[in-house]
Amino acid sequence: MNLETGKIPGYQLIFLIMGFVSSLSMLFLPTQPAKNLAWLAILVSIIEGLLFASIYTALALRFPGKTLVEINEFILGPLVGKIVSLGFLWYFLHLASLHLRNYGDFFTIVYPETPLIVFLIATIFVCALAVKNGIEVIARCSILLVSLIIFLYFFDLFILLKEMDLSKLLPLRNVSVQDFFKASNAVNSVSFGETIIFMMIFPFLNKYVEARKSLLAIIIAGLLIAISAARNTAVMGDLLSIFQYPTYETLKIVDVGDFLTRMEIVVSINFISMGFLKISILYYGLVLGTAQLLKLRTYHPLVFPFGVIITVLGVINYGAISELIPFALEIYPLYSFPFEIGIPLFLLVTAVVRGLPKKTKGDQI
Amino acid sequence: MNKFSLQIKKMVVLLLVLTLIPFMMSGCWNRRELDKIAIVAAGGIDKENKDKIKITAQVFKVGEIKSPQSGGSATGKPYVNFEGVATTSFEAIRKITQIASRKLYWSHNQIFVFGKEIAQEGIEKYIDFFVRDHETRLMVNVLVSKGTAHEILTTETDLETIPAMNINDIIKDLGATSQAPQITLKDIAERLLSKTSAAVAPLVEVQEINKKKHARIAGTAVFKKGKMVGELTPEESRGYLWVIGKVKSGIINVKTDDGTKRASLEIIRANNKINADIKDGQLVITVKIKEEGTLNEQDSPKNLTELPLWHSLELLQAAAIHREITAALKKSQEYNADIFGFGEVVHRKYPLLWKDLEKQWDELFPYLKVNIEVQAKLRRSGLITKPISPSTEE
Repeated sequence: MNLETGKIPGYQLIFLIMGFVSSLSMLFLPTQPAKNLAWLAILVSIIEGLLFASIYTALALRFPGKTLVEINEFILGPLVGKIVSLGFLWYFLHLASLHLRNYGDFFTIVYPETPLIVFLIATIFVCALAVKNGIEVIARCSILLVSLIIFLYFFDLFILLKEMDLSKLLPLRNVSVQDFFKASNAVNSVSFGETIIFMMIFPFLNKYVEARKSLLAIIIAGLLIAISAARNTAVMGDLLSIFQYPTYETLKIVDVGDFLTRMEIVVSINFISMGFLKISILYYGLVLGTAQLLKLRTYHPLVFPFGVIITVLGVINYGAISELIPFALEIYPLYSFPFEIGIPLFLLVTAVVRGLPKKTKGDQI
Repeated sequence: MNKFSLQIKKMVVLLLVLTLIPFMMSGCWNRRELDKIAIVAAGGIDKENKDKIKITAQVFKVGEIKSPQSGGSATGKPYVNFEGVATTSFEAIRKITQIASRKLYWSHNQIFVFGKEIAQEGIEKYIDFFVRDHETRLMVNVLVSKGTAHEILTTETDLETIPAMNINDIIKDLGATSQAPQITLKDIAERLLSKTSAAVAPLVEVQEINKKKHARIAGTAVFKKGKMVGELTPEESRGYLWVIGKVKSGIINVKTDDGTKRASLEIIRANNKINADIKDGQLVITVKIKEEGTLNEQDSPKNLTELPLWHSLELLQAAAIHREITAALKKSQEYNADIFGFGEVVHRKYPLLWKDLEKQWDELFPYLKVNIEVQAKLRRSGLITKPISPSTEE
C-alpha cells in the first residue's frame, strides 16, 4: 500500500527546502526586535535551525521510508500515536492557511479593491493541482522557480549596491541580548522550524541518506535570507521598522539611470512562486498525513475538501495585520515549540532509548 | 467507470476550463485604462485656513502635449492643477475626484512641494499618507516653497512642458552647484523617524524674470522634529553637503592678488569622513574633507600655475570650504537641529553611551565641539596654463 509512488532525487530536496524556507522569509520576517541586527539574528537562527533539522533527519534515517505519521504510530503505539499525528496535521493545516493568508494579504495591499478571497481561491487552486500530481511535480517545479528566484535575488542585490550605506548596519551593540534572541528565535520558528513538514517528504527520496542534504539547504537558504536582511537594512536603515513588507519597499528604491525603476514587481514574482511552493508542500504533507492516518488507499479525494478548509481558515485566521504581528512574535514561537522541536526530540529520544526500530520488527527498509 | 464515460468527463472538464479562461484573462479586478486616469506629475500641500489644508495636484493634459513639428498652437497649458481642501491629505486628494473627471493616479508623481506655512506647522502629519499608500512612491523629490506650494506649481517653463518636469529636472541638476540637497520622501521619513537627526529639504522660490514667474532653488529648509525652523543660504547649504559627502560639483570663488582679483575653482570630487571621539570627558566630532578641484577661470594677470602660487591657491580653496562648513555648522547649532546626523555617528561609535546622550542631545548639540579638517588639492588648470592677459610683471 503506497500512497505516493513518486521518488525525488536529493538535489531536488535541496531546491524544495530552499524554496520552502526562503519563500515568505525574504519578504516578511519577525525581526523587528533586532532592529539593525536582523541579519545577525538570522545567522544565529540558522544554527538553531540546523539543530532542529538534524533531529528531523536523525529520525528520518532511523525509520527509513516512514513518514512522520507512521513514525508516531510506530513509537507511541496506535492510539497515542494517532492523537499526536492529529496534532501535527492540525499544525500543518493551520500553517498552510496562515501562509495562504499572508500571501493574500500581500496582494490586497497591491490591489486594494480586490477581495481577499479571490487571491486565496486562485492560489489554492493551483496548489491543489500540484498536490494532486504528487511530490515529483512539486519538486520539479521547485527547481525552475527557485533558480529563477536566485537569479532575481542576485540581480536585485547588484542593482541595489548603489543605494547601500553599510554604516547603517552599525552599531553592533544596539539591542539587548534578550531582544536579539527573541528575534532570532522567532525567525527560526517561522522559517527553519517549519521544515518539520519535510518529515512527510523524506521517505520519497531516492536514497534515504540524502535527507542529510536538508542541512545544506538550510544553510544556503539561511545565508540568502540573512544577506537580504542586511541589504534591506543597508538601504533603508531605521525606516525599515515601519514597513510591513521591507523587501518590497526596498526594491521600490531602485533607480538605475531612470531606466531600471520600480523593481518591486520582482518581489511579487518571488512571492507568487515561493508562496506557491510553500503552500503546496504544507498542503501535500497535510493530505498525505491524513490519508495515512485514516489508512486510505489514495489521498486524492482529500485534496479538494482540504483546499476548502485551508481557504476558509485562511480568511478567518485573523482580522487584521495588527493581530498577526504579536502572534508571530509572542505566541507563535510557543505554539510551534512542541511541533517543531518538542515532540520530534521526544520521539528521537524514545526511539534511541527503546532501541527502535528493532531489526526483527522492521517490515520495510 | 468505463472508457467512454471517462472520455466524456474529460471533455466536460476541458470545456469548463475553456469557458473559465476568458474570465480569468480579461485583466485585473479593478482595471483602470490609461485614458481613464489622471496622471499626477506633482503634488503640493498648503495651509488653507486654521484646520484645513489644500492639496494641489498637477495633472498632465496628454492631448495638449504636442511635438514642435506638429505645430500645436499654444492655446492651452499642457497641464491642469486640481485643488482639494480638507482636513487630511487623503481626504483632500479624494475630494479632487469631485471636480476632476478622472481619478488621480499618483505612481508617476515626480515632485512634492510643501508650502512654508505647512512646513512651519509640521509636515509629519501630512506625510503619513504618502508613505503609507501603495500608489505614492518614496522616491518622489520633496521641496519646500518659500511662499505657497501652489505658486510653485503655476510657474512658467521654457524648455519643459509642465512645471513639475521643469522643477524635477532642476533638482536632478542640483549637483552642478551643490547648493541645495536633493531630498526624497524616503530621506525625510528616515530623518523624521530618528530622535536626534533633523530633516532638510531644498527650498524653492518664485522669481520674476521678464514678467514671467519662474521657479528657482534658493537654499535649504531646516526641520526640527518635522517643523521647519529655519533656512540655509546656498553657501551654507554647500557647507552642509560637504559634511554629509554629497557635494558633486560646484564653483569655489577665491580672491587672489591680495584680494583684488578672483579665480574660480571647479570641484571635481570630494570625500567626507565623520568621526566621534571622547577626549577628557568631552565629545568631539571630527569632520575630514578631502577635495580635488581644477582652476577654471582667473582674472589675475599672474601665472597662477607656478608652484608657490598654486599651493596658496589650494590653501585658499581649503579655507573657502572651511568657511562654508563653519557657517552651516553655526546655523544648525543656532537652530539646534542636527542636520548632519552627528548623533547617528556617536550612536554607531558609542552605542552604550548613546542611551544617555540621546536624551540630552538637544542640550548637547548647540555646544558640540566640531573639528573641521579640510585637505584641498588642485589637479588641473584647464587647457591653458598662463592667463590670456599680458603679463605685467617684469
